[in-house]
Amino acid sequence: MDSMETVLLVRYAEIHLKGLNRPFFERALMNAIRRALAPAPVEVVREQGRIFVYGIAADRLMEAAARLSRVFGIHSVSPTCAVEKRFEAIEEAASVLMRETLDELEGESHSFKVFSRRADKRFPLRSEDICRELGHTLLQRFPALRVDVRAPEIRVGVEIRQERAFVYVREIPGAGGMPVGTNGRAMLLISGGIDSPVAGHMIAKRGVAIDAIHFYSYPYTSERARDKVIELAKIVARYAGPIRLYLVPFTEIQLAIYDHCPPSETTVLMRRLMMQIAERVARSSGAQALITGEAIGQVASQTIESLTVTNDAVSMPVFRPLIGFDKEEIIDRAKAIGTFDTSIQPYEDCCTVFVPQHPVTKPKVEKLRESEALVDFAPMIERAIADMQLVEAAEG
Amino acid sequence: MIYLDNSATTRVLDSAAEAAAHCMREAFFNPASAYAPAAAVEKQVEAARARLAACLHADSSELLYTSGGTESNNTAIFGTLRAMRGRKRIITSGVEHPSVYEVFRTLENAPDTEVVYLGVDGEGRIRLDELSAALTEDTALVSLMQVNNETGAINDLSGAQALIKKRAPHAYFHVDGVQGFGKLPFGPVPCDLYSISGHKLHAPKGVGALYVKRAVRFQGGLIGGGQERNLRSGTTNTPGILGLDASLTAYTLNQEQWRRHMYDCKERLAKNLLSIPDSGINGPAPAMGAPHILNVSFPGVRGEVLLHALAQKEIYVSTGSACSAHKRGKNRVLAAMGVMGPRQEGALRFSLCPFNTLEEMDIAAQAVAEQVAFLRRYQRR
Repeated sequence: MDSMETVLLVRYAEIHLKGLNRPFFERALMNAIRRALAPAPVEVVREQGRIFVYGIAADRLMEAAARLSRVFGIHSVSPTCAVEKRFEAIEEAASVLMRETLDELEGESHSFKVFSRRADKRFPLRSEDICRELGHTLLQRFPALRVDVRAPEIRVGVEIRQERAFVYVREIPGAGGMPVGTNGRAMLLISGGIDSPVAGHMIAKRGVAIDAIHFYSYPYTSERARDKVIELAKIVARYAGPIRLYLVPFTEIQLAIYDHCPPSETTVLMRRLMMQIAERVARSSGAQALITGEAIGQVASQTIESLTVTNDAVSMPVFRPLIGFDKEEIIDRAKAIGTFDTSIQPYEDCCTVFVPQHPVTKPKVEKLRESEALVDFAPMIERAIADMQLVEAAEG
Repeated sequence: MIYLDNSATTRVLDSAAEAAAHCMREAFFNPASAYAPAAAVEKQVEAARARLAACLHADSSELLYTSGGTESNNTAIFGTLRAMRGRKRIITSGVEHPSVYEVFRTLENAPDTEVVYLGVDGEGRIRLDELSAALTEDTALVSLMQVNNETGAINDLSGAQALIKKRAPHAYFHVDGVQGFGKLPFGPVPCDLYSISGHKLHAPKGVGALYVKRAVRFQGGLIGGGQERNLRSGTTNTPGILGLDASLTAYTLNQEQWRRHMYDCKERLAKNLLSIPDSGINGPAPAMGAPHILNVSFPGVRGEVLLHALAQKEIYVSTGSACSAHKRGKNRVLAAMGVMGPRQEGALRFSLCPFNTLEEMDIAAQAVAEQVAFLRRYQRR
């Protein structure tokens, strides 16, 4: 069937609201779409509030649609048949799709409804005419079908565009949010646990490009613990696009804290030092904010007092999208985005490497500043940054 | 490099690697094929089977080659249960290797099956009085390990067999011999089924065996070309089998000497490690356990952290069975022995082979002592 080509129709979400910035957002979204489908050489075309993706082999169409369902800024995706703008061609395509759909469902007796949009007003039939006529055709060709305008099981869509008409039956929900890169860049502190990848995903959803920073305690944490973090960054990159992941050796600073500072403050001091290094790296990386996976009260270092003390270590804004979440809610999201199974691999990370102290739950800013001043951390921070490694984490 | 993780796997002997390579490059024929070179390979396999059987004072027809310990254990359990109907109690212990323990966990859901897990004493051995109390007329199967893979504790199999014969005469007795075979003196095994793994004995990975006593009603699992007396179909793994044969030849020639040497090494290592303050052995006293496994706790240090610190010095040990090192949570075996808290968190397993040296024991213990002293500065104060 030469005249029938398979094309992905992409509807986008909040971009509509963005007025004069709209072309910028649309370009970012088109780039994200190309990236998500790479290396397939697709043609991405924008046309009147829709984006069309051409050049995907028919057997890869569902996989491509699944990939696009992870791209932020997309409201929904439909694999469509693109046909000539003649009603007979539309009827033909709709019949083929209906046949396929009925083959996947059980039995022939199902309800349906036709939806249509006529973007090209030169087309002789108005939208309601298309719905009525095409509905009539389908009822004739599939006598067991019935029309249900309220809650149809099968939704047949038709869009009449400048060049061609597009017919579809599937509408796959997108991830929502905004195209990555349209709202700046932020640095995610990623630990290897369940929370931080979820936090990164949530901020990326708001259109923020993500860099990530991980602290490790060589030789006391394993190569596998590092690989796990790289793997987590790659999973987040499926949504957020390529992530620059900075791996920072933290052992020297950690041991200095344990050697010279009050035992009950080690955890919160470690967090202050991590935040300072993250802020330094963020500035040089072009990130404008920090992201953490903290939630109020989840552990002793996440009380309001502790968060105050960690905030005091930096001047950049710190985004904590999970702040009001229960652990169960975070786990559900981690499962949904696919990071959970990797996060629960049991390797020591730099925060658990030594038998934990009884941490102070209500640290005071002044007291912690004093404790931090007991050690000259500046040269150690310089060394840590100098020995830092950069890994590009992209969807594999 | 000082390799002290021989219970995870061993370095393949040169003679075993050569035997395997010969089977890959020259004698690569399928022993089931009809022409002369294939028949020659079949003869070699059968000669190897006879030598393996001789280690157990068994008959060749009682030995099946498998892909290793996990398959042997799975097959032993499912193969006997498939062949018997009606009886329902099956008994194992809480310290078995996952390839037995997880099978029993699965069988908890099987209809008309009652699963019993025995506890162990403080040194990791099955208590015979507890076994005796658990045995019933309707017991179908008892599965116990010969040597515990984490502590080296040796179970009293003869005692267990006598009890089973008396109190559950219809039950079969399966023994997981993966850590015991070759490390304990060769000879008849007091059981009905016995699992063997090659790669714990300097043979290649992917080969093992299962001894099934002649009288045992048994149904194989893999159906196909009818190899292994139609009990385990699949093209014969000739490189693995002849590799295992070569390593068994070495074990047969040297067993007593190798056992003595491993005990010497183990006792030296234990003595060195016990001079570290607060350290303690988990499991039996060195001379009472298997010659190659020593489990020691260093409270105040996390086992995984100590492991990585030693790895930096190319000293390789483990925190427990490699088969469970990737699972979250507590050490099931040590917990069953009543080893809890800092002693459990700070446990390391050192497992030896005949090629370790006394000098290595001194170097390794010295490195452990240094790292424990260093890391303890950062423990809870």
